[in-house]
Amino acid sequence: MTLLKPVALAATLLAFSSTPFAQETLKIGALVTLSGAGAAWGTGMQHAAELAADDVNAKGGLEVGGKKYKVQVIAYDDKYQANEAVTVANRLVFDDKVKYIIGPVGSAPVLAIQPITEKNQVIVMTLGFTAKALGTDKPYTFRPNVTTAEVAGPQIEWVVKTRNVKRVGALFPNDETGQQIAKDLTAAYGKVGADLAAKEFFERDRVDFVPLITRILAAKVDAIELDGNSPSTAGLITKQARELGFTGTIIRTGGPATQDIVNVAGKQAAEGLLVHTPIDPKLPSTAAYAQAYAAKYKRGMNGFSPAFYDGTHLLFEAMRKAGTVTDTAKVVAELEKIKGHKGALGESSWTGKAAYGVDHQLDAPFYVAEVKDGQEVIRARCTVSGCK
Amino acid sequence: MDLSLLIGQAVVNGLVVGLLYLLMAVGFTLVFGVMRIVNFAHAEFYMLGAFVTFLCVTRFELPFLPSVALTFVVAVIIGWVIEWAVLKPFRHDELNGMIATIGLAMILQNGALMLFGPDPQSMPSVATGVLRMGDLLVPNSRVYVVLCSAAVLLAMWLFLRTSRTGRALRAVVQDIEIAQIQGIKAKLIYPLGFGLGVGLAAVAGGLMAPLFSVSPFIGAGPMLKAFIVVILGGLGSIPGAALASLLLGITESVAGTFLSTSTADILIFALVIGMLVVRPSGLLGRPE
Repeated sequence: MTLLKPVALAATLLAFSSTPFAQETLKIGALVTLSGAGAAWGTGMQHAAELAADDVNAKGGLEVGGKKYKVQVIAYDDKYQANEAVTVANRLVFDDKVKYIIGPVGSAPVLAIQPITEKNQVIVMTLGFTAKALGTDKPYTFRPNVTTAEVAGPQIEWVVKTRNVKRVGALFPNDETGQQIAKDLTAAYGKVGADLAAKEFFERDRVDFVPLITRILAAKVDAIELDGNSPSTAGLITKQARELGFTGTIIRTGGPATQDIVNVAGKQAAEGLLVHTPIDPKLPSTAAYAQAYAAKYKRGMNGFSPAFYDGTHLLFEAMRKAGTVTDTAKVVAELEKIKGHKGALGESSWTGKAAYGVDHQLDAPFYVAEVKDGQEVIRARCTVSGCK
Repeated sequence: MDLSLLIGQAVVNGLVVGLLYLLMAVGFTLVFGVMRIVNFAHAEFYMLGAFVTFLCVTRFELPFLPSVALTFVVAVIIGWVIEWAVLKPFRHDELNGMIATIGLAMILQNGALMLFGPDPQSMPSVATGVLRMGDLLVPNSRVYVVLCSAAVLLAMWLFLRTSRTGRALRAVVQDIEIAQIQGIKAKLIYPLGFGLGVGLAAVAGGLMAPLFSVSPFIGAGPMLKAFIVVILGGLGSIPGAALASLLLGITESVAGTFLSTSTADILIFALVIGMLVVRPSGLLGRPE
């Protein structure tokens, strides 16, 4: 300890002495899940922020109010747990002094960190699906991805009408995200005359779903809904349901995870799966992002990743317009005003006033796809008002 | 699906997972028996085994069973080297040994994360179709894995009962000092015991890889259950572990099917707490 102190002091002095000559750094926090079942989402979000940072850094930095900032992404793992999220949010806000956070992935983690981020006027771009994440009392929280509340209704209506689905079984993680999605889906299926007849809840670390699938099959369902599950869990359920001889429809009306599901379930079990996808891979802007992602990280992107790439760029745009990186109240005001942003997802704007009281929810197109030989084939194009 | 069928289905499912827990628990209890250290890296050896089998099957296109056999050999060698290089100073030192294995677990998990990334991957099923016994359905992939697990356990049992080395291992588990007086070379028995324990965990990982998925984080769940099995069966008792594994697997599956998986978890922990109160040495463990 005694040895470390002078070394640390010297390092700090050196760092400070060099700042007047260096470009200023703008730190963006990535508070995401990097381990466990939600890691595929978390890494996709971290990489999205890094790619957006690369874009501006490649142009000499982010120019705001006459100054150029080198954007640096600081990523921490919340392990998809609320208590871990609070620990790393404290580190980001008080030690790293960030004013912008990409994440968290989960609903429970975002609700847990909001007392810290809102009080300290830190802008949060969360993936958390809970309706409680956005509200008039949470002016610094935004959601750059569409959630079940936006996509489930139109997609379920399309699936029920075109695939003759009447009785549906579903498995949900036993937490805030799972409970919220179960409520949304029960209402959405009921509204179009189908019945979410069997609902099962389980702990997120579960890998053997055979007892639960057995119960669901006993309820004589003609479809299994996977919305709300992590990609690996959805893949395992698909694989095990098919192994148990289930030949009915398997649907995932929310949460993009197709590639991960196919990776875990295998192409054969995933064949014919109906999935929600927020991206059209043929859209030039989306294809370009996917290509950049694969080039840097040597693997395919997760379906949520482009939303957070757009979300990070929306933050940059708002900072430029506000002329400040530190006065986040001004940045929020400019962020809310952005309309028709052309990003990886295509053209998007903010919505949400009717549902949440604030326009902090991204409004972007989404799709229903069918898995054919491990690949998504788009079957319907959707907006909040319906699918065609 | 009628009630008797649902019960039958739940019991069969329970037997499958019970055998997984048993494979894990036997390796765990063997390491504890020989070295008197709680191996917190056991979960990571399960994960490592799953990856070795996964690579053999998907990259090198070897058939499944030779891949599992190769996994066992690789794991025993790795276990032997780790015992010799890392754990030798901690033999019979419960606290420091535990800390050393926690460190080992972190190195292995993060190493796997760096090598393979966080995304879960799938291995093709080892068998397709469903075995029908009346109206009872068991996926053939699970039947296959059950038979392989049973064969591995039988081989290990025969090795420990009938071979000279196996008997030496058991003697060390029973009383190290007397075993050494009888001429058993502890310097060979320690790495062998650890290697075999690691080998069993790795084989469990390899056998389960086609049923579940493969990622750096897959070991935690089975490890927790193996821990429960070892406590419930009696620390160091292999027959106790066998009884506890099947009891745990079937309880978990039946309660999970008829009540809920959360209730099943509560029941299991209630069972363990009840056992510790009534019989602290476990089902078939020897009182200290």
